[in-house]
Amino acid sequence: MSLMREIEWGSCLLEPRRDPKLERRFRRATGRPIGPVIYFSGTPWLDDTTLSFNLDVSKQVSIDTELVGLIGMIVSQDNSCRFCFAETRALLRILGMPERRISLLEHDLLSEEFDARERAALEFARRFSRSNPRPGKRDLDALRTAGYDELQIIEIACAASIFVFFNRVTTFFALPPQAIEELPDRWYIRLFRPLIAFLISRKGNTARLEPLEPGEREGIFSEVVLGLDGLPFARSLRRTLDGMWASTLLTPRAKALIVAVVARALDCPLSEKEAIASLRAEGLHAHQIDEILAHLASPVLNEKERVIVSFARETIWYEPGRVQQLGRDAMQTLSREEFVELVAVASIANVVCRLGIFAGAA
Amino acid sequence: MDSGSISLAIQLGFAGLAVSLWLLLRRSRHDAQRLQQRIENATTKLQNLQLAFSRFAPDEIVERVIANGLSDSGEKKEVTVLFADLVGFTALSEQIEPTALVGVLNSYFDRMSEAISQHRGYVSTFIGDGILALFGALSPNPWQGNDAVHAALAMRESLAGYNRELSERNIPELSIGIGLNRGIGIAGLVGSRDLKEYAFVGGTVNVAARVQDLTRQYDADIIVTATLKASLDPRFRLRELPATRVKGVVEPLSIYAVDGFAEAAEASG
Repeated sequence: MSLMREIEWGSCLLEPRRDPKLERRFRRATGRPIGPVIYFSGTPWLDDTTLSFNLDVSKQVSIDTELVGLIGMIVSQDNSCRFCFAETRALLRILGMPERRISLLEHDLLSEEFDARERAALEFARRFSRSNPRPGKRDLDALRTAGYDELQIIEIACAASIFVFFNRVTTFFALPPQAIEELPDRWYIRLFRPLIAFLISRKGNTARLEPLEPGEREGIFSEVVLGLDGLPFARSLRRTLDGMWASTLLTPRAKALIVAVVARALDCPLSEKEAIASLRAEGLHAHQIDEILAHLASPVLNEKERVIVSFARETIWYEPGRVQQLGRDAMQTLSREEFVELVAVASIANVVCRLGIFAGAA
Repeated sequence: MDSGSISLAIQLGFAGLAVSLWLLLRRSRHDAQRLQQRIENATTKLQNLQLAFSRFAPDEIVERVIANGLSDSGEKKEVTVLFADLVGFTALSEQIEPTALVGVLNSYFDRMSEAISQHRGYVSTFIGDGILALFGALSPNPWQGNDAVHAALAMRESLAGYNRELSERNIPELSIGIGLNRGIGIAGLVGSRDLKEYAFVGGTVNVAARVQDLTRQYDADIIVTATLKASLDPRFRLRELPATRVKGVVEPLSIYAVDGFAEAAEASG
């Protein structure tokens, strides 16, 4: 824990905004207070995504919630996300995982405390999130050898995806982690831990296979979504992508640029192809797109787009302190709403491209 | 001895045993806590070490070394190599005191390393007064060429600032030559059994070093090869230099001096 607390973490980039209606909605759906979402709420599709991904964390069809929690910790630790790491750690402690087991994971993923099956899942989740090098067939075979079936493998990738998203959102906005870091040691949490654990557990583990409806099988990045068909996360992601594409805070061209830049950096041909098709549909010529993706610059980009493209490339592998400063710089040019959408789209782009690479390997 | 005394002796015996057991338990708990503390300290040190290592080699390599020890594995990568050398350093070393010289050199390295890391490069090694930096070695970077040339321009600017400081201290100014090249090579842990470093080896590095030598011949502080030029942003202001033969390359090498970067020239969209 100490090492995570040493990570450079700037002050929050956004002021909190109360929204009683949204707060009630969150409390009803999750059984928990809205928490840090009030810092970045106000973008409808992002509010919906935050809520549905939050619920998806505890909706497993074929793997158990504890494994998802462990995946959350390992991915958040790898992404240096103090906020998500502390939150996942607190959740595992509340759910009753012994402190010793959590500490072992913090210190050593390969600890003998975890069996070969768990270790294989955790190693894969980390590789998926890191994508350096990209996960390949050999990584999937390692999971199969460890005893996971195809659905479970996809569900592990989905669990890692959720944290790829939340790690970025919370880090890029620099949501304050201190309160959540201290939460498990609060006397009221210790006193009511079994009750809270019961309430949380009651909300989870209710998922079953839900094939996508015909209308959900089409749309932007449908190949990626179809690869997850049957899992609740596939529906959440479909709704997210549709909401993101329909939003008017950033232009469709700006959003396609973000995805194209992330896809180029991660070397995800599937996502890059689709992003380029969207850019073509927005009127950019092939040579202009080539120029933008080769140099992250072009005379056809306006000032906001230059900032957006430049920030997008920083969202793949980053150091929290530096990316938070870049976010502050970006806010000199973008409005609050535009910046929130930029962070959200870039975070989703990171999910989509990693899933695209996964689909290629699978 | 009457039965009362025997009973008292037994009770005292039990009490003594209880106290001894309690003391033993307390001591073993104390020992366990100390052991736990030492394990935690060692783990934290290991984590810090891992974090420090990750600045010098990809995470994947660091973890592989920690899990399996050193091995001879390497991988092919496309990397942009920046080779920088101080011009006239030997003469400078004869003009100022050794302690002052080391101070000047260290401050120079700090500034140059900062310029390199600000542009996503990583300093692979210092060779005497030279610097070997790599772009795209630790993580894939499709924009590595532009990053490397931006880093070279930042080094030029940073050195100009440092020279102003040196002039005020009556220390001769420094000048650098920077050679840049892009190509495929082998990245891995290289060295003797006792001393290894994460390095990138191959013709790409050699050519960058040769191009750096040419900076003196053409009086240009930054020179790039045609291979690198092909991937550069057209806003870099480049000046073609005569194709030149360098050791180890059959054909004369097409090279370009970098004069600057045209920041403006962006339009609307």
